[in-house]
Amino acid sequence: MSARRTAGGGRIDRTRSVRFHFDGKAYTGFAGDTLASALLACGLTLLGRSFKYHRPRGLVSAGFDEPNALVTILRGDVREANIPATMIEIHDGLVAESQNRFPSLDYDLGAINQLAGPLFSAGFYYKTFMGPAIGPLKGTRLWMLCEPFIRRAAGLGRAGYATDRVRYERMNAFCDVLVVGAGPAGLMAAKTAAAKGARVILAETDPVLGGSANWSNETIDGEDASQWAARTAEALAETDNVRLLPRTTVWGYYDGNTLAALERVADHKRVPENGEPRHRHWTIRARHVVLATGALERPIVFPGNDRPGVMLASAAARYAGEFGVLPGARVAIFTNNDSAYAAARALQRQGAAISAIIDTRPNVSETAAGLANEADAEVLTAHAVVATKGGRSLSGLLARTFDYQTGRFGEAVREIQADCLVVSGGWSPVIHLASQAGTAPIWDDALQAFLPPEPTQKWTGAGAFLGHFSTAEALADGHAAGQAAAGGAKARKPALPKVESLPVDPTPAPVYEVASPDGKGGKAFVDFQNDVTADDVRLAHREGFLSVEHLKRYTTLGMATDQGKTSNIPGLAIMAEARGISIPEAGTTRFRPPFTPVSLGALAAERYGELKPDRLSPMHDWHVENGATMYSAGLWYRPQIYGKAGETVEQAYVREAAAVRRSVGIVDVSTLGKIAVQGPDAAAFLDRVYTNMFSTLPVGKARYGLMLREDGLALDDGTTWRLGENDFLMTTTTANAGNVMQHLEYFLDIVWPDLKVTLTSVTDEWAGAAVAGPKSRDVLAACVSGTALDNETLPFMGIVHGEIAGVAVMICRLSFSGERAYEVYCRAGFGRHVWETLIEAGKPFDIVPYGLEALGALRIEKGHVTGAEIDGRTTARDLYLDWMLSKKKPFIGSMMMDREGLVSEERARLVGLVSLDNQPLGGGAHIVEHNDPHAIRDSIGHVTAVCYSPALGKYIALALVRRGKARHGSRAYISDPLRRRFGPVEIVSHHFFDPEGSRMHG
Amino acid sequence: MVEPLSPLETDWKPGHYGHVANGAGVTLSQTQPGSIVQAAAFAGEEKTLIAALKDATGLALPDGAGAGVINGARAAFGIAPGRFLLVDQAEGLADTLSSAVQADTGTLTDLSHGRTAIRVAGTSAQWVLAKLFAIDFALTAFPVANGCSTAHHDIFAHIQRTGETQFDLYVFRSFARSFWKSLCHASEDVGYQVK
Repeated sequence: MSARRTAGGGRIDRTRSVRFHFDGKAYTGFAGDTLASALLACGLTLLGRSFKYHRPRGLVSAGFDEPNALVTILRGDVREANIPATMIEIHDGLVAESQNRFPSLDYDLGAINQLAGPLFSAGFYYKTFMGPAIGPLKGTRLWMLCEPFIRRAAGLGRAGYATDRVRYERMNAFCDVLVVGAGPAGLMAAKTAAAKGARVILAETDPVLGGSANWSNETIDGEDASQWAARTAEALAETDNVRLLPRTTVWGYYDGNTLAALERVADHKRVPENGEPRHRHWTIRARHVVLATGALERPIVFPGNDRPGVMLASAAARYAGEFGVLPGARVAIFTNNDSAYAAARALQRQGAAISAIIDTRPNVSETAAGLANEADAEVLTAHAVVATKGGRSLSGLLARTFDYQTGRFGEAVREIQADCLVVSGGWSPVIHLASQAGTAPIWDDALQAFLPPEPTQKWTGAGAFLGHFSTAEALADGHAAGQAAAGGAKARKPALPKVESLPVDPTPAPVYEVASPDGKGGKAFVDFQNDVTADDVRLAHREGFLSVEHLKRYTTLGMATDQGKTSNIPGLAIMAEARGISIPEAGTTRFRPPFTPVSLGALAAERYGELKPDRLSPMHDWHVENGATMYSAGLWYRPQIYGKAGETVEQAYVREAAAVRRSVGIVDVSTLGKIAVQGPDAAAFLDRVYTNMFSTLPVGKARYGLMLREDGLALDDGTTWRLGENDFLMTTTTANAGNVMQHLEYFLDIVWPDLKVTLTSVTDEWAGAAVAGPKSRDVLAACVSGTALDNETLPFMGIVHGEIAGVAVMICRLSFSGERAYEVYCRAGFGRHVWETLIEAGKPFDIVPYGLEALGALRIEKGHVTGAEIDGRTTARDLYLDWMLSKKKPFIGSMMMDREGLVSEERARLVGLVSLDNQPLGGGAHIVEHNDPHAIRDSIGHVTAVCYSPALGKYIALALVRRGKARHGSRAYISDPLRRRFGPVEIVSHHFFDPEGSRMHG
Repeated sequence: MVEPLSPLETDWKPGHYGHVANGAGVTLSQTQPGSIVQAAAFAGEEKTLIAALKDATGLALPDGAGAGVINGARAAFGIAPGRFLLVDQAEGLADTLSSAVQADTGTLTDLSHGRTAIRVAGTSAQWVLAKLFAIDFALTAFPVANGCSTAHHDIFAHIQRTGETQFDLYVFRSFARSFWKSLCHASEDVGYQVK
């Protein structure tokens, strides 16, 4: 094959040359070239090695359906594999390399696999990985040894390890009409809909709008079709209500007329503009969709059909017409329909010699014969190609007389010299999106193709997508679809552009495969990308994989990155033939999204690193400035410890917690969930959602509350403050705030809509600081004005209002630490101001800011529960909170909480553990009764929270252990084989410290 | 008097950023209203609440999903069925309203510190916001003064269109800095000015 650039023609810009690298070598192309067209113009025809057999492969197509010429793009250290060369626009500095070859494309050691061809037939993995079922190796695990070698030998591009630092972006769009495909039909639809005032989006995979108009050599309204397309596109670009999206592939059609599209914004640029993403992912919500996605030409399956130099007729015509590249000097045509005759003439006009047209049909139309004559080509009717000649490129082929109706061959064999063989097996409309938004595709016997199904969403088809292959039909369809999509009155007689085109009829003879007449001629490939042959399909049939879905999985037909765009219909036809049934009876594939591969970066856009959403407390900056180690708690960042130089985490929290017990500490509690519960029925509502009573709570007081789920298990706990008769402030655990809000909203909206209650998240309205320790009151006394703080004015669970340094504050006396403690709330914007004032006021008392670890240690010492114990599996009784279960009223969960299994004495219940070997305990570790480190069994419970207790001078833990309190005083063992920890513990009350609460209340 | 601290704090840096070769496509700023108040009507009390709000503030809210009104330093818009967000550049709106709304009509919740107000203005405002929200920002679909409730990732936002090319966004204070970073990032390709 001797491909070359034509003397003139094409839509490339011959004044702008572009330098790029392929497999380490520099090449030059023109602006407007794809990597495929540029390499072809440089005479390269071998562009890849096949998946299993490492066979040399060249270009089959000129578009997204390309199965062979897959390359890896290198951007610095970042590798992007398996990109069709046909979809890559060249630019200065582009670096690409070929795949699945060692050491080079020309000399690939892996090609030895071809010798072992029969071994790698369909079902190879299934058979191999079962282990040899017969023979001397039966029962051995031979395949485990072989697997790494097999994996290395097979495959396509190699993924890299470098982080992809380029930018990806997501975009939402809304429109009246989305037109998919900007060929003549799509352009016409967009133009018509836009003229009616509709908001239009026109998406096109290629960089240049126009589709087939760019290489059809037809005229529209007296000018070259490509010029008509360019002019129409330009006019659309200047229309306010139209958005053009070139380089954009609509890849999925979802419910509610929502479509997904990928725009390749900067792949064709050496350096993106400032802030410009490489890919932009579009979610388009369209009132109506026009599908003008065109049709794909099908290959014919015949022996040796994968030799570089064999390509689709339309691809050859496109390379010549759009890119000014002739794929060969002597071109042979193999076809079952008339459309390839037009390609023959186009190639001949660009300077190729047409060595022969091999047509499976016994007779051809006058139009076809005329075109053959114009192309100076001999026509061999009732012939088929039975073998190709050449090594890594085509040198010739054998054509033999053939009766397509019987499949029988005659005796006459002709050898034909050709460096390029172009094939046309008919056309398949691109119905992928329609299939995602429609019923089953409809088989058309005349066109030998599946046509679009009945829509189940709002779309209209146009042009070749509908099986209407002429440009005049496309324009008429596009106009009608644009009208229908935009709605409103129809124009009576649309003035459509006049088209001059060849009256070729693409209706094919039903020939999908030319099986080898004598078993010679080489492999006949159906799926080039996954190396699936016609014999593989027949093997699947013989082995009982008859259903098209089984065929697909067994042979991997259509499962490669091209998703079988060139192979599905031929594969189906071969199976139908083997089964003796028709193609529609054999079945079809319902195409799934994505239509073509989508970059993961675009799907994950802006949801990682610095752009990951997070929540910061009003005092966040103070914590960071003062040496806090920040700890992510859900979306929040909270101080873990305020470590000093040289301190371990344990040393830091022990110091902080000890300071709280000794004098005073301060902790940021702004992250607690806060819900305003307001309205005349707020108290009644709280009585229903909490297990205990809230309607009796006086204004200016807080109460600890527990909520259950409907199934009787504990949901969340927290204090709720009554700020006014109809005004409560509920607090929840930090992590559970969203859940509790949803839970409450559900009951309010669905179960009790009659209650006059409003729920509002006010978590972010308030900054909260808990001041805890024996000196806490002294600290407040030093800075609070406007209220007394004595036991009488502010008893345990009391609330007062006052001021700190000019800022209004609410102070509630409650304690998580077990010390005398006060939570000081102010409006969030003043949070840091109040916090700093409290720190300043606390200096004489050596106030210490403390983090989550110390907070945890203090609450474990007190036996207070958190989400670690309220874990969705525990009941109020399990946690010894049954004193909170009111008997005076029903509440959510009260009907279900007394079920047999929930009141069983055997349940795991809350206890304390003390480490007896003075070693730390591990959260999640099991508790066992037997002193046997090796017996991983007989767990009686698990550890929920651990710490070193500065108050006790011991390692302690909270745990859920079967029969709970009944085990107090008994010995057990902590068993943590994953962390290699086994040791004795004593089971004790979970109230380790100050069980009477005298410190808190005093 | 103590000035409330913006949650953006150190991340708010006036200047020009991104692709500003052709000028800034958007201007990002904080409107720092003195009051942000939610008014919520109980079922069947929506019209009574709207009337009470009008009496107290002069803001005549149209009755309809997302409908809103702008009147000088004050603005209001619907954020949920029977729920409205009222904004005033001056402080004390919650107090003004508390005497105007009867307990049986609905509730008022002061969110002046809990929500952070960010303004996105300029010819590319729609483009930038479309990256963040699945909302149709076209003028025909989203007229001036109208509002909506939506979310970007996990970040809830109320949005009111306060001009043909101007939108005021109200996000939860704790998310504000994170959201600001996303917003700046999304504005880079059109160029942005922080003011």
